[in-house]
Amino acid sequence: MSDNNKKEIIRVEELSKNFGEHQVLRKIDFSVNKGDVICILGSSGSGKSTLLRCINQLEKQTYGKIYFDGKELGRTQHEINIYRSKVGMVFQSFNLFNNMTVLKNCMTGTRKVLHLSKEEAHERAINHLRSVGMAPFINAYPAQLSGGQKQRVAIARGLCMDPDVLLFDEPTSALDPEMVGEVLNVMKSLAKTGLTMLIVTHEMGFARDVSTRVLFMDKGYIVEDAPPEKFFTSPENARTKEFLSRYISDGERRS
Amino acid sequence: MTNTPNGVFEWIWFIASEYAQLFVEGTLITLAVSVAGTILGFILGFIVGIAEDSKLSRNDPVPKKIFLGIIKGISKVYIELFRGTPMIVQAMIIYYGLRQGGFEIDPIMAGILVTVLNTGAYMAETVRAGIKSIDIGQREGALAMGMSPISAMMNIVLPQAFKNIVPEMANMFLTNLKMTSVLNVIGVKELFLQAKTAGGTYYKYLESYLVIAIIYFVLCFLFNRIFLFIEKKMAGKKDYALAVEYMDNNE
Ligand SMILES: Nc1ncnc2c1ncn2[C@@H]1O[C@H](COP(=O)(O)OP(=O)(O)OP(=O)(O)O)[C@@H](O)[C@H]1O
Ligand SMILES: [Mg+2]
Repeated sequence: MSDNNKKEIIRVEELSKNFGEHQVLRKIDFSVNKGDVICILGSSGSGKSTLLRCINQLEKQTYGKIYFDGKELGRTQHEINIYRSKVGMVFQSFNLFNNMTVLKNCMTGTRKVLHLSKEEAHERAINHLRSVGMAPFINAYPAQLSGGQKQRVAIARGLCMDPDVLLFDEPTSALDPEMVGEVLNVMKSLAKTGLTMLIVTHEMGFARDVSTRVLFMDKGYIVEDAPPEKFFTSPENARTKEFLSRYISDGERRS
Repeated sequence: MTNTPNGVFEWIWFIASEYAQLFVEGTLITLAVSVAGTILGFILGFIVGIAEDSKLSRNDPVPKKIFLGIIKGISKVYIELFRGTPMIVQAMIIYYGLRQGGFEIDPIMAGILVTVLNTGAYMAETVRAGIKSIDIGQREGALAMGMSPISAMMNIVLPQAFKNIVPEMANMFLTNLKMTSVLNVIGVKELFLQAKTAGGTYYKYLESYLVIAIIYFVLCFLFNRIFLFIEKKMAGKKDYALAVEYMDNNE
């Protein structure tokens, strides 16, 4: 691993989020280095989505700080917009723009936010759509695509912004089983390019094969933070063990 | 008069040709008031609808909170008042209110103003519902890649909301076309008032109002067809062409 890859890109300090009285994130501390592929696991309601949404600032934290590239995030809308253009997000429900074709979906961000020329934006869109195997569908509207195709377009749309970090919130959870593979494969090849990724997922095999680190969240805390080999073979936290044993027995029952 | 018309149909024809100029003028004024009223009212409704729908977050600066709070309050009162009173009463109050306040407003202008305010009050709700119907995810998708909230609104939400709103706007126009008849009470020389004038000379009110009934009906019928055609056009194509130039061999 090169020196560059060790550089810290995001650090979260004492990040807390309350919805009314409900404490969803409790003083979370962790950092992301360039090139990290971090999978975030945890049971439903443990705060995984909220953590990603806070990192992208779709939710404003109640308390705590987020640093990007060594600097604390600015507060003005303008600063947040610039930051978001570097930290993209892929959603469980795709969130493509229904009024635009696949091509326009991939060009809007680069045109409106990065102010690329039409030609540059077009070229980028085609390149990234090609890399996810969706280039032939540039004229289609989201409603005309399958779930797996939509998610691949959403990933391409994120890549077009040339982000430093890409956040994924359960990118395969809304997909029919036969489409999960095509999206995971795209993400696997992205991991190989060295893109920094934070991925909330329930796909254990994927987390084991692809991640450089696995986080486990429980009741708003990160209770386990380990490389995948350690995480899946000798976790330290009791909740992690319980969670994993449930998944392993589930897997055995299925196979 | 050499040939006195006989029966309703002859009288209709007689009135229509004798007072053709009145009816043409009335048709034009009815159209002008409803077109201007609907378009301007639609713009007003858009602004009020967006204002009503805007949300305050806890982190907003205090002046913004106060400003938006006032705008939202005014919007609410305006919508309630205009939806809760008949247009004919609004027309009287606005026209005579302005006159007593010293504004020598032309009846047609007053008529347009009433139509605008009335349309705005109804369209505001339609706009709000139209915006609400666009799922929040698309907005978040735009924000998450660094688009400003305004840009997300203009590029993603409104174009889609607009598509849902167009049929409502068409409906509103047809309603206005008919509702402008109440503006006769403030002396706007639209169709209804012209029919009253035309019918008065020979005391042939039935025939005269039948003339404008036909005009109203034909106008509504034609515009309805036009709007249906536009909506069909707007629905767009159902299929798409694969971009074969980007097809890989292994696909
Ligand atoms: N906007 C909100 N308002 C109130 N409570 C919320 C909101 N968003 C999330 N929550 C609550 O916060 C908790 C954590 O939610 P979150 O979506 O982060 O969980 P998660 O780990 O992503 O779960 P899942 O695996 O089901 O997606 C839940 O109890 C949820 O009900
Ligand atoms: Mg979630």
